[in-house]
Parts: sequence; C-alpha cells; structure tokens
Amino acid sequence: MCDIIWCKKCDTVNYLDPFNFWNWEGKVKCAGCDTVYYIHMIQGHMYRGPEERPGEEPDILPLYADQPNNGYERFKPGTPGKTRPYNCLPREIYLGKADYRKFSIRGYPMRAWAPQPPSAGIAGSHGFKWDIEKLSPEVWQEFLEKKKKGEVKDW
Amino acid sequence: MLEKERIPIEEQPGPKSKEELDANKVPFEEYCKRVFDPGNEFEKPAALHGVRWMSCTMYIFTPHAVSNLAELGAEVIKIEMPRMGDPMKHTSPFNECYYYPLHDERPLTGQGIGCVNANVNEYFITMDYHHDDMKEVFYRLVRMSDGLTECYRPGTFDRWKQSYRYLQEINPRFIYVWGGGFGYGPKVFGGSYDILGQAHAGLASITGFHEDFGGHPVKHTNWCIDWYSGTMITVAILAALYWRRKTGLGTMIEFSQVQCATRCCGYGVPLYGRFGIVRQRWGNWDTQLCVHGIIICGKSDYPDAKNPQLRDEARYVMVSAFQDEDFKELCRVIKREDLWQKYQRFKDRVEAEAQVEIYDALEKWAADKSRSEVVKILTEAGLLAMPVYNDKEVYESPHYRERGTIRWQFDPIFGDQLVQSTYSCGLMSKTPRRKFWDFRPVGADNVKIYHEMLGYPISQIEEWYKKGLI
Repeated sequence: MCDIIWCKKCDTVNYLDPFNFWNWEGKVKCAGCDTVYYIHMIQGHMYRGPEERPGEEPDILPLYADQPNNGYERFKPGTPGKTRPYNCLPREIYLGKADYRKFSIRGYPMRAWAPQPPSAGIAGSHGFKWDIEKLSPEVWQEFLEKKKKGEVKDW
Repeated sequence: MLEKERIPIEEQPGPKSKEELDANKVPFEEYCKRVFDPGNEFEKPAALHGVRWMSCTMYIFTPHAVSNLAELGAEVIKIEMPRMGDPMKHTSPFNECYYYPLHDERPLTGQGIGCVNANVNEYFITMDYHHDDMKEVFYRLVRMSDGLTECYRPGTFDRWKQSYRYLQEINPRFIYVWGGGFGYGPKVFGGSYDILGQAHAGLASITGFHEDFGGHPVKHTNWCIDWYSGTMITVAILAALYWRRKTGLGTMIEFSQVQCATRCCGYGVPLYGRFGIVRQRWGNWDTQLCVHGIIICGKSDYPDAKNPQLRDEARYVMVSAFQDEDFKELCRVIKREDLWQKYQRFKDRVEAEAQVEIYDALEKWAADKSRSEVVKILTEAGLLAMPVYNDKEVYESPHYRERGTIRWQFDPIFGDQLVQSTYSCGLMSKTPRRKFWDFRPVGADNVKIYHEMLGYPISQIEEWYKKGLI
C-alpha cells in the first residue's frame, strides 16, 4: 500500500513509499515540476496535505514517479534532482545509524555496501570469486591495516 | 592361495593380542572427533554427486527442498527471473539489503539476508521459461537432469507445456516435484505461506500460552513450516530416486505445505477423533511432565546492554525436574517443601491446577535472581537447567563451535559469513553435508550453463540477454 501526491500542475504521480512515509511529516518535491508539497502522514493515512509550499526547500524526494496520462513517462529511482536512489539501507535500529558495512563482527571483509563496481561479464555472469584486491582495493587496504592493529579475529 | 604366500598372523598389521587391541581402542569421544572431523568435510565424497536437479523455486519452502540435495552433493541449477531473481532476495528483513551485488544493471540494489541457507551450492541462471523462444533450452535441461522442483500455481507449468506429463515423454526417468499451498482439491488456487501452513494445519492454535494466561495463538517468528516442509520434500525426492534405481521410472511428487504442517500437531487430531476434545495451548509448560518448562527470572544477564533483546529478554530459563527425587530437590532449593508434600505423586503435579501453583512458586523464587544465577543454583543441585539462548549466545556457545555447527566461512562472492544451517543437520562420517557458497547474484552462471554445458554460442546468449529472455 502506498499513498501518492498527484500533482495537478504537471500531471505527475509521486509515489510515497510506506518504508519512509508511513509516519512522516515534512515537505516533498514533485518529480515533474519541482513544486514543493507539505504532507503529514499517520499510519499510512494522509492526515494533512498535500499543501503547496512555494519557495520552501523540500525535506525529501519521492522514490519513484510517473505520468500515467503521458504514456507512463517514468522517473526511476535515483534520477538526479528528481527522485531518491533506492538504497534500502539497514535501519538505524540495528546498527545505530543507517549505514553500509564493509567488515563482519570479527573484522573480515564482506560485500555489504552499494554501489559495487561492475564485475559481471556476459549476460550478468559472475566469476566464482570476489577479487577484492582488484575490485575494492580501498577495502582491502583497510582490512590489512585492521589486521596489523590486531582487530581481525578468528571469532 | 599357496601356502608360501600366506602371511603369519603375527606379521599382519593390527593388534597381536587382546591387551594390545584394548590399548589401541581410542576413547569414543576421540573416535567421534576423528570420524566426523568438522571443518574437513570437503575432503570427503558427496553422497548425491552425479544427481542434477533443476530448481524453478522461490522464497524458502521449495528452494530449501533442493538446497538439501545440493548440500549433499547434487548439482543444482536454480532458474530465476531475468534481472530480478528470486523474490526472496528482495524481502527480508523489512526489505533491507545486506548482500551486494544483485546484478550489475542494478548497482544500488542488493539482496536481503532472508534468502540465506535456502539455495546453497547452486548455480544461478536466469530464464523466462514460459516464452516460446526458451522452450527448447528448457527441454534440453530436462533431458540432462534427474528432476525438477517448482512452486507455481497448480496447472501453470501444464499450461506452459512443461508439467510432469509433458516432461516424462522426453525423459521417462524424470522426477517432478510441485510444492505449494493446498494442492489439488477445493482450494487448488490457494497460495502458500509459512504462516498459512501454521494456521491452516491447526499448529498455531496449539502454540503459545492459553488465553487464561493472556496468551493467543502464536506463529513461530521464523518460517519453521517452510523449512520443515522443504525438508519433507527432500525425503520424498530421495525415496523417488531410490524407486527409480529399482524401476528406471520417474515420479511426480505433489506436495501441499498446509497438509505437511499437520504432522507437527502430534496427537491433536487423533485425540479429537477418539474423544471429540480439541487440544489446547499449554505454552512454555508441558502436558506430560512437570516440572518441565520455561520460567522467567527477575533480572537480566545483560542489565546494561543497549539492545532490548539482551537487556530485557535474557531472563528465561528452561527447568526440568519431573522425576520424584528431582522435584523433591527442586522444592528444597526454592524453600517450598510444602509443594513436595502436596504433590508427591507425578500424576498429581502434572494436573493443570498443580502446574499453575508450581510454576508460580518457581517464578516467585526466581524474581530476585538473574538467569545465570538460577541456572547455577539449579545445576549445582543436580537439576537440569539451561538458559534460553539468543543468537549472540548461540554464537558464543563452545558446544556449537567444537562440533562445527556454527562457523565462519568466506563466501566466494559475498565475503565473510557466519554459517549455521548446513552443519547443523547431523554429522555424517563418510558423506557429510558441505557448503561451498550460499547463493550467487542473478544470472551469475548464465555462461557456464548455456555456453559451457549446453553449448550455445556466446552471440546467442547475448541476444537472449538483450531481449530480456535471460
């Protein structure tokens, strides 16, 4: 389930994903015409808004937007200045802050961050092994330093 | 054999006397460590080596049925949706991602951790197999495989001309598994979910505390019926493989998840059949034994921890003292000899009213103690008591570490990973389970299977890829 802001100025549907907007109050920018709207959502229900707030800065961008009356012209996630990227970060309740991780709790590297450098070949085929020294040299260096400091453990 | 070739027994290897034989016998503990040798599973043969299986599965239930085969050595080809992969990669927990990459074309999208352990050691390819252009490729895989597992709505594969009745014509030895919610019958199009199985089979109705204690029907936090039903499919597959060795013929296995979950309900249904009595929930206590349950203590073992799961929840202890002597000792320890006087007979204390009184007394005694204090006091009194572990404590448990149940493994694609599933399913001295990798990115083995195994030219693979067929 997801509520929307259907901007009547540019006929764009801005989708308010429940992950972010389920209980949320603030200003959202229309992906089509950059109009800023104020909304207040409680338990997925649009309690107030959308109200136009001309001249004010938005707090957040929608994740996805499209124009159904214009051949479904789309603003995919991560369109600069229009939509947010879909990062799907682990929530702060697990890690203290919403963030990627590069090392496991014992200090060894793990591939848990985005974006990853492209490494697939034909038709998305991957090699068997993550060549960490080649693909992520900065993580490899950080790992070696952690090892030197004795921060890498067996358990 | 000629006389001169005979080797005298004194010169043969091995013990020469009974005393020497006894001296050579290693203690059973050492023997077990030697034959099971956790950590060196990869040096041993795999029981199902030579079996090839196709997995057109999603989520946990049916993938796990095939993952069992792959952990035991079968070569499994998991066929996923192009660009997208198994939906399970995008679900749990809370749609967050912990494993990257999913696919080079979607650099910001990762994979959830919920799909781990369900597709172990499998090759991951993508194919839109319902498209006419891919039919021949699909059939070629069927000709080269021993079986297939799928989880679509009943009749979908039949509509796509790839159900058992079509596939057995091109491979009579083919074993075909359909796993889903209800199977044929009045709810043929009902979907399949773990919670649905727990509810529809009546399992949830007997899980959790009785309403008299403020309880409700409870589902297990994890998808225990998915894992359980998947394993039961594996049992069926192994039986089908054995049947095929004898007859040379394949089998169709039709597996309803909700049907399977009734097996977990124990005596509930026969009880109803005999007396018309509906079995009730009995929570952390036991209807056959008392004391034999889980109690709550007053203090946490981690009072200063930030994580509420540690700070507030690390307070439960499993206590068992149902034999007369043990119960007497328990009453002495908690200074309630009156309970022993009142409930000296096993039959008396297993009654519902008695259990209410006994467990209440136990929890009052534990109200000013931490979980570890309770365990220490009861263990020293010779009684069985065990903390209810959380994941952190399972990780730190020397028991699991020594037996190799929990171990760190460097996944070839995703890096460091704590592994618990493969090595928790029983030890096998000759052909143990093993985990090479957990899962692979979407389409990771497209070239290996389409080009190296089936022999299609790279140009053909690139064309399919451009069309979105793989």
